[in-house]
Amino acid sequence: MTDNSRTSATAAVGGRIVEVPAAQENFKADTAVLRTMRKLRLPLKLRNRELTLLLFACAINSVAILLVQLGALGTIDLDLIYLGAGLSALVLGLHVCLRYVAPQADPLLLPIATVLNGLGVAMIYRIDLATGASGWSAASTRQITWSAIAILAAIAIIVLIKNHRVLFRYTYLFGAFAFVLLLLPLVPGIGREVSGARVWVGIGDLVSFQPGEIAKIALAIFFAGYLVRTRDSLSMVGRKFLWMQFPRLRDLGPIIVVWALSMAIIVFQHDMGTALLFFGLFTVMLYVSTGRLSWILIGFGLFGAGAYFASQTLTYVHGRFQNWLDAFSTQVYDAQGGSYQLVQGIFGLAHGGLIGTGLGQGRPHLTPLSQSDYIMASLGEELGLAGLFAILGLYLLFVSRGLRIGFRGQDDFGKLLAVGLAFTIALQVFIMVGGVTRVIPLTGLTTPFLAAGGSSLVANWIIVALLLRVSDSIRTGPIQEVSS
Amino acid sequence: MSELTLLVLRIGFLLLLWLFVFAIVYALRSDIFGPGSRKPQPAQAGQAQQQTPRPPAGPPVLPNNPAPPVLPPNNRKHEKATIHNVSRLVITAGPKEGLEVSLGRDPLTIGRAPDSGLVIRDDYTSTHHAKLLLWNEDWMIQDLDSTNGTFLGGKRISSPTQITLGTPIKVGATSFELRR
Repeated sequence: MTDNSRTSATAAVGGRIVEVPAAQENFKADTAVLRTMRKLRLPLKLRNRELTLLLFACAINSVAILLVQLGALGTIDLDLIYLGAGLSALVLGLHVCLRYVAPQADPLLLPIATVLNGLGVAMIYRIDLATGASGWSAASTRQITWSAIAILAAIAIIVLIKNHRVLFRYTYLFGAFAFVLLLLPLVPGIGREVSGARVWVGIGDLVSFQPGEIAKIALAIFFAGYLVRTRDSLSMVGRKFLWMQFPRLRDLGPIIVVWALSMAIIVFQHDMGTALLFFGLFTVMLYVSTGRLSWILIGFGLFGAGAYFASQTLTYVHGRFQNWLDAFSTQVYDAQGGSYQLVQGIFGLAHGGLIGTGLGQGRPHLTPLSQSDYIMASLGEELGLAGLFAILGLYLLFVSRGLRIGFRGQDDFGKLLAVGLAFTIALQVFIMVGGVTRVIPLTGLTTPFLAAGGSSLVANWIIVALLLRVSDSIRTGPIQEVSS
Repeated sequence: MSELTLLVLRIGFLLLLWLFVFAIVYALRSDIFGPGSRKPQPAQAGQAQQQTPRPPAGPPVLPNNPAPPVLPPNNRKHEKATIHNVSRLVITAGPKEGLEVSLGRDPLTIGRAPDSGLVIRDDYTSTHHAKLLLWNEDWMIQDLDSTNGTFLGGKRISSPTQITLGTPIKVGATSFELRR
């Protein structure tokens, strides 16, 4: 890969600059020329690659909407296509922005996010067609609007934050911010309770928002900054036991605090998914920053104990576990808040089979919440196993890019932040897909980019923006001299 | 819309989706992820090794032709390292173990920064970690306010300290010593 870049740089020198032999007399001057040439050449290459993939992505999204209309209505209705085109224009706007403010950012994140978002919109639109919702009451219209807001937020982040290291300065501020956001739904007056979980805030009937989604980003920043500052004491000392080094008792403080916070979310907000997400995020970042396996074991142990305790004492957690373990028993299936929804989703997936019923031709709307929590089951029904695996493949590529950015990062904060952000996406996909397919008990989280829900879209597009920002700093970071 | 058309469209869309996945994978494969801040390191190491040949490693030593002793005799172990008796820095432990850097009269900077004379990239090394320099004719090691410190013979140094021949100096996870 490096050889490739080197030859392209030399070729550029040979093609454009006449005084190459003169420059080679002075080695320093030559490297300076090479460096500037590299700066000029590579970014364009990256952004052009992104543009190609982005056009491909927009084409896929339009085709998906057209197929939904053909399958469900038998005709083509251009209204939604225009809305979709508006979205494509915004994504291309983000791309143009990147050309100026982050020319060396990763070229693959944006196209992947666009396709996932577009597939989500198409599926939500398909369910709206089945339920007869239209205009502003239709989830698809709202989803498109929220997508637009989310992409604009991403543009704002990428333009405003010139360097991700400024976030490091405000580590503790972000920690406090996340804490406030998490507490917000408990405040009477603005807190809302939707289907048992108190994780929403709203003003009147106008806007409702899930602050936990934004809190996860603030927490990732906080954890990254905090661990960069303190990981030496967390990783260097400790006792060896069973071929692993365990931390001292007093170093367990931070993980206990985060664990207590997650347990508080389970008890007071009735939201297992968010708790699992935060705790998993902290454990993984702790592991990545210290390189000690014992943290993972401690994390698993703590959460396992907490989950077991919760399932024994809290009725709603107990219900979730029962739905999961005994989904097909008639009693559980018929019960109020029973496994009806989960089993419908599984029936949908079974109906889809290998290549699916085709967009617009299945009956995914039979499952309650088929446009948000169960969007994976809906997509699985209409696109089949083949389509579902393509989607999971896209998630895999997205997360691998994020981890790669973390791996190649120049500064420890950026590394940890990128790994943390990529991992939130991975964990969320695991929790949701695992929940829908009955691998783990279902908990209320959103499937990133796909599921209907504004807060989640905004949060995930901000994650895209932050990853792009960190990846840009890698490429613009100090380049080692090419030795001759 | 006939069933057949819809079936073709359905399969066509799945193919399109997978084509996109493979397009991404293809872009990944040929993606030039930066001009490689890792790649030049082996090249650098090769450059350093060209100047001073490694101690005999490959060919087995014949019994009737014993190899000359590589290590200096014990009585010379605590000799001061000066411009006259030091020619190279040898990394004895760490990721770059075995790497040798020849020393002239110029100071050598050690750290994570790519412009350092000796680039050590690990989590416990600071950007500008330490510096080897000549005072009069003696080699000294100076810690440049690094986070995790520089250790000479196991002791953390706070001021520029005289180096003795063969005493291990530890920077981050890397140890090296000066040899003649």
